[in-house]
Amino acid sequence: MFHRFALVVALICAATRALAHAGEQGFVLLLPTQLYIIGGGLSVLATVLLISVLPQRMAVSLFRPTTIKRWRLARAKSGVSCIGFAVMVGLVFIGLTGPHDPNHNALPLAVWAMFWFGFVTLQGLMGDLWRWINPWTGPWLAIRRLGVRPIARLPRWLGYWPASLSFLAFAAVLLAHPSPSDPDALAAMVACYWVFHFIGMVVFGPAWLRRAEGLGVLLRCYASLSVAGQSAGRLRLGVPGWKIVTGPRPDTSLAVFIVILLAVGSFDGLNETFWWMARIGINPLEFPGRSAVVAQNLAGLGLAVPMLVAAYAMAIWLGVRLIGQGARFAAAFCALAPAILPIAFGYHFGHYMPGFLVQIQYVAGVIADAFGMGPVHVTTGFFNTYATVRAIWLLQAGSVVVGHILAIILSHVLALSLFGTHRKAAISQLPLAIFMVGYTVFGLWLLASPRGV
Amino acid sequence: MSKSSESKSAVSRRSALKTLGLGAGAAAALPLWARYSSAETAAPIRIGFQKHATGIGAAYGRWYDRTSQAAVRLINEAGGINGRMVELVTEDDGTDPKRGAEVIEKFATQSNCDVAFGTLFSHVVVGSAPRAGELKLPYFVVSEGHHVASGMLNRYTVQPGITDVKSQVQAMAPFVSQNLGKKVTMIFPDYAFGHDHRDFFTAAIEAQGGEVVGLIPIPPTETSFTKYFPKIPRETEVIYHVMVGPGVLTFVKELGEFFGPSRPEIFGFIDSLEAVDLASPGLEFLEGTYFWEGNPRYAQPDQTEYDKHFRAAIGIDENGASINDSKDVSTYAHMFGCWETLYVIKAGMEAAGYAGPQDRAKLIEAVEAITTMPHSNEHPQGAKVFNGKTHQVFGPQYISKVVDGKLMVVHTASIEDGMYPDEVDYTTQAL
Repeated sequence: MFHRFALVVALICAATRALAHAGEQGFVLLLPTQLYIIGGGLSVLATVLLISVLPQRMAVSLFRPTTIKRWRLARAKSGVSCIGFAVMVGLVFIGLTGPHDPNHNALPLAVWAMFWFGFVTLQGLMGDLWRWINPWTGPWLAIRRLGVRPIARLPRWLGYWPASLSFLAFAAVLLAHPSPSDPDALAAMVACYWVFHFIGMVVFGPAWLRRAEGLGVLLRCYASLSVAGQSAGRLRLGVPGWKIVTGPRPDTSLAVFIVILLAVGSFDGLNETFWWMARIGINPLEFPGRSAVVAQNLAGLGLAVPMLVAAYAMAIWLGVRLIGQGARFAAAFCALAPAILPIAFGYHFGHYMPGFLVQIQYVAGVIADAFGMGPVHVTTGFFNTYATVRAIWLLQAGSVVVGHILAIILSHVLALSLFGTHRKAAISQLPLAIFMVGYTVFGLWLLASPRGV
Repeated sequence: MSKSSESKSAVSRRSALKTLGLGAGAAAALPLWARYSSAETAAPIRIGFQKHATGIGAAYGRWYDRTSQAAVRLINEAGGINGRMVELVTEDDGTDPKRGAEVIEKFATQSNCDVAFGTLFSHVVVGSAPRAGELKLPYFVVSEGHHVASGMLNRYTVQPGITDVKSQVQAMAPFVSQNLGKKVTMIFPDYAFGHDHRDFFTAAIEAQGGEVVGLIPIPPTETSFTKYFPKIPRETEVIYHVMVGPGVLTFVKELGEFFGPSRPEIFGFIDSLEAVDLASPGLEFLEGTYFWEGNPRYAQPDQTEYDKHFRAAIGIDENGASINDSKDVSTYAHMFGCWETLYVIKAGMEAAGYAGPQDRAKLIEAVEAITTMPHSNEHPQGAKVFNGKTHQVFGPQYISKVVDGKLMVVHTASIEDGMYPDEVDYTTQAL
């Protein structure tokens, strides 16, 4: 069995080596991209085959965490959250009063580079840091001390649907706002987002933050992928996904939220490609700017979400039908959805990482400026040499492929606990596995495609 | 150094003479205004910098910013403009025409800018200029588009720091026909940018006794080019290419594979490879081919003191890359336009006795009165001739050959080579 596993590892390595091609624009097209995409797809396919022959015990034990020590995670202190709130207020103030160049204003850099790439990645690797620093808990506890109490209960039937709406509103800004980095506009949007959810929290209590604040739900989802975590009063370490295997099964609304995460991430890549530009009749070589594609991007988002939810549902439905358990469609839809998280997280990392490499230099520039240090030279030279571009693309493609491999294994283990036997789990996974192999190819194609923005 | 200050004052004096009487008369008639303007002198002159900080123009925006900041720093170190410091007020236009117009409005109505400046991408200029005209905000563009001189814009939009595409293309034709060949096949992206090259060059080469024997338009979303190359007529002596976008490296590689060692002469525009390291893999095929350069990226053996001064101020090495990172290649063929435009704004403001927004019309008149700009620290790319009627500057163009992976200038087209009859007289429009 070890040999099989070694084979998969070798395949991944081969794929990533084969994937070694230029990441940025001109270099992107120089190497035989198709070969690398096939390599990535085959790696994931090999994982499907491997997992289907792997003994049940081995698969399950993969996600069994190791206990490190007795450790009770302290409750989130309101003080840390208040600092988070103060930082947010400070950034909004800088957004309104600071430089108008988004590369020199701390607010857009903090939101799009430090939060949307940096913090989301950190959350996926380190666990739930957001519960400490989110800017709502502290102020809410403060007004609670003043005697303010929730005046209504957030209906249970609403589930996480409000979070989906909240996240889709964020996605609409990310994808379709004409100037999401404009410091003035962003300051107003951040302030409105905070006020809206704070009012929700005042009215409905902390349940609002848990089930209606989209970014918080996204961050908690990704935190479930971290290696370290706490359960039963102990610090445990395990293969990413162990918290999902040992955690509660999501309800339908949270399962759909997870699929929406992937849909938004995928469309955020697709809408930049030459392929998409050709569909909407835009010449990518003289891209007319974001303000010319607001409606197209909103329509694309509006299509991508239901299409991906339908595709996922179809894969699950076919799977349960294959093992004659059609009645368990809803249970399987919910139970297997978290397996999508590594895919969404891997793509999130791969898609935004190159931009972050530039943005982080601007962050350093803003910090240097604040402390009166010399100017920081922002370079994009690493997009201009074969070796660095290769390394960047390797990392991007690697994150996509590893995300899918993890998703395949995780999905199999989740199916095992749902359907009981190895055979049923393996057969039920067939359509979803095809979906994931296809998605690997799609994700790598997105990274390899020439972009017009 | 001394030569440069002489030339600068020559331009300023000439313009000042024309506007001096106007300024003095106005001051005498409006003592209150005069008091206002003298109280205002402590405040900096605010130049609204419309920057492509995001969007497809971001690589240009980064270098336009560095160049502009360097020029403003030097202007301020030398005492500013009319005794006032200069401040760049930067706004991101997202390389987006609609936002470009909004930014112009912001400069005029919210951030109290005296003028607007900096735009490169033609569609942003075309989208922004009407608003600048309505607001009577002098709008200095650095876009090399023919839209200024064609007459489609307005009296408040000026392009005094960089030549336009029509002029550039026309200036190439004599060299191409006399040195490379008379039978030319053009390979160009099939949209307005490529069409401009097609139309301007076809006319120019015919005027030189040459002919375009093949026109090969490439769809903008194309990423593989081999299938187009068999369409190149056998009689072709020169291939003229202006491919842009991410497909450029593939285009060059496939062209090299198609022709092998025996190829016709090849002439291109450096726009294709602006900010791209010529030592990149796949570009070996370009060895021995020719490029138009707005300003020679590689320091030449006969490099002028002005070019040295320009590179040192921005922090650029002899290969046209940042001194902080040799792989961070600048947009050297275009960004001098920002530098030169800022010095034109300075000369214009000094000639107009510019004191505040009430003098914007006088500033436009003073700039229109400028005729020549000598090769100097202020104009390191070369001497210029400004046409006040068409609001377009004319200057030398460089043709360079790739030798050992570097661009070496083999011909400098004269200012006259790029001149063409006026298509508009903006001075007849009301201010």
